[in-house]
Amino acid sequence: MGKYSATLIPLKASINRVKTETSNVKTYYIELPEGVDLPKPGQFDMLYVHGVGEVPISVSDLDEKSRVVAHTVRFVGSVTKTFELLREGDVIGFRGPYGVGWPMSSVVGRNVVLVAGGIGLPPLRPVIREIARNRGAYGKLIILYGARTPEDLIFSYEYCDYESIPNTELYVTVDKPSESWRGSVGVVTNLIKHVDVDPNETYVFICGPEIMMRFAVRELIKRGFKTNKIYLSLERRMKCGVGLCGHCQMGPYFVCKHGPVFPLWFISRYFWVDQI
Amino acid sequence: MPLTGLYVGMVEGLRTLFDELRGLGYVVVGYKIVDGVLRLGELSSFDELARRVEDVQSPGRYSLVSGSFYRHGPDSPKKFLYPPTLTLFKVSSKWDIATPVYESYNLAFFGLKPCDLASIKVLDRVLLGVDEYYASLRKNLVIIVENCTNPGNTCFCSTMNTGPRARDSFDLAYTKLNDKLVLEAGSELGVRLLNTLEVEPIDDATYERFEAVMRDASEKARAGFELNGLPEELELRIESKTYEEVAERCLGCANCNMVCPTCFCFDVLDVPLIDGSAERVRVWDGCLNFTYGQVAGGHFRPDLWARYRHFVLHKFAYWIKQFGTYGCVGCGRCITWCPAGIDLRETVRKVLRGGKSG
Repeated sequence: MGKYSATLIPLKASINRVKTETSNVKTYYIELPEGVDLPKPGQFDMLYVHGVGEVPISVSDLDEKSRVVAHTVRFVGSVTKTFELLREGDVIGFRGPYGVGWPMSSVVGRNVVLVAGGIGLPPLRPVIREIARNRGAYGKLIILYGARTPEDLIFSYEYCDYESIPNTELYVTVDKPSESWRGSVGVVTNLIKHVDVDPNETYVFICGPEIMMRFAVRELIKRGFKTNKIYLSLERRMKCGVGLCGHCQMGPYFVCKHGPVFPLWFISRYFWVDQI
Repeated sequence: MPLTGLYVGMVEGLRTLFDELRGLGYVVVGYKIVDGVLRLGELSSFDELARRVEDVQSPGRYSLVSGSFYRHGPDSPKKFLYPPTLTLFKVSSKWDIATPVYESYNLAFFGLKPCDLASIKVLDRVLLGVDEYYASLRKNLVIIVENCTNPGNTCFCSTMNTGPRARDSFDLAYTKLNDKLVLEAGSELGVRLLNTLEVEPIDDATYERFEAVMRDASEKARAGFELNGLPEELELRIESKTYEEVAERCLGCANCNMVCPTCFCFDVLDVPLIDGSAERVRVWDGCLNFTYGQVAGGHFRPDLWARYRHFVLHKFAYWIKQFGTYGCVGCGRCITWCPAGIDLRETVRKVLRGGKSG
């Protein structure tokens, strides 16, 4: 009879490198198995830990030549906590890439504002990389990033690189500052006031906790940004990644298949509804 | 579409049909009585098929009494076409991944009611093309459907346009009129089966009787709401307080999901084995289960009413957007098998009666 949906069977992949980001976040560089497509910014992969489980993890970086893809993982659930034990050379199950990513072709020639909260920065990093690589193709880049504490800021070692990308602004804020913190304090939504661009010529990509995205969207709309130019990467319980298991539904959408990145106007009927 | 007109034979012909299917090598599945409940299972002889019983169904209640017609029990075709548990793969301690090979077999459903036939048509839209297991059984699936002459208390197939008479997608449809059998073939195999019986083209008197019985049955199986504009009307009332009111009685047991013939959601269990290998097993899951919308960092539907609302809106609104058909066939199982007797029909009526904001 053959096997149940072949799409649910992982491929063997190996971990090339593990990089510690914060006390509970590490980045796993995984060599793509043969035949697997290169992921696009905003897409995710399903990573399987032997005997433990499978989790959807966004792509946080990509080296096309070596076909090594970065996945930045926060140790928060029963599966991700076991990631902490994984080392360079370990084997992992891989399926992907899945989902609809950021609309990179639409934003050519336009300004791009990135709004990220906490672990929401990694899915946006490939966008920063792409704009840095083809700097002339895009307008102004503005990055707004907020985390709980200075210690929770992810990729802080490369913020200088972001700021040195021509025509780019970076604003970082934390909820709870440490004594040595000299930057902004407060939620990331407070940073939107720094965004000084023509809303008609600007796309906004948002990734973070749902509550933060709601506040960010309200603020952006107030400032004239358009619902068809605001894109959100939604989180849901993605168990299969291919629109079969039902867990990730938001209204009629399978977030894993129709998203995870949606233009706001697509989902606006459901986005504001409590516990949809 | 039916290949033949209506024919008349005798009810004894059912045994002939059954034996013919077995003779052709089909695994014949129909209702038998297990622990006082009609359960779908393989039948090795016609005598195992439940007869002379009637299922009495009402919200939260199910019992069998002696009678001449029954509808269904908690099982539906999905139990066979989309099994409750299915091993996806096994991975050894050395990372060799083995996928189990499932033997296909020729399956025939005997005496399904039109609502359950309709549920297979719904599952076709969801699973054909993505689930090889489903597709392999579906390819040679034979469906002998019994038209529903007496819908039960929780039935609403006429509202959902799925019954009480099956119109298409069957091999053979029969209707019991006392000792007579009205038959209609819907496939070449159906014609072949029909030819094994002593039948005559339907006479006027029997036809009128048949029409009258179907008409009466149709009147009995209404939900008290109309499909006309229903998905949009429900979505306009997406924040209706009715869900909260109704869910006060809900236990979150997910019985509704399990007995629903179209609920397709699954979870995947990780099963570590003593030899260091591990399996991943697909199991039925349901949106009423607490863990359904839970993630490590939070919960998308922590409140029961929100999970119940998802169930209702998925069946009557989202499904249309996802698959171009309703996810409900009006079988009424979720009403009967709800331990709290929550009536889906009543919920929909209440939501529609309420205003667009609450």
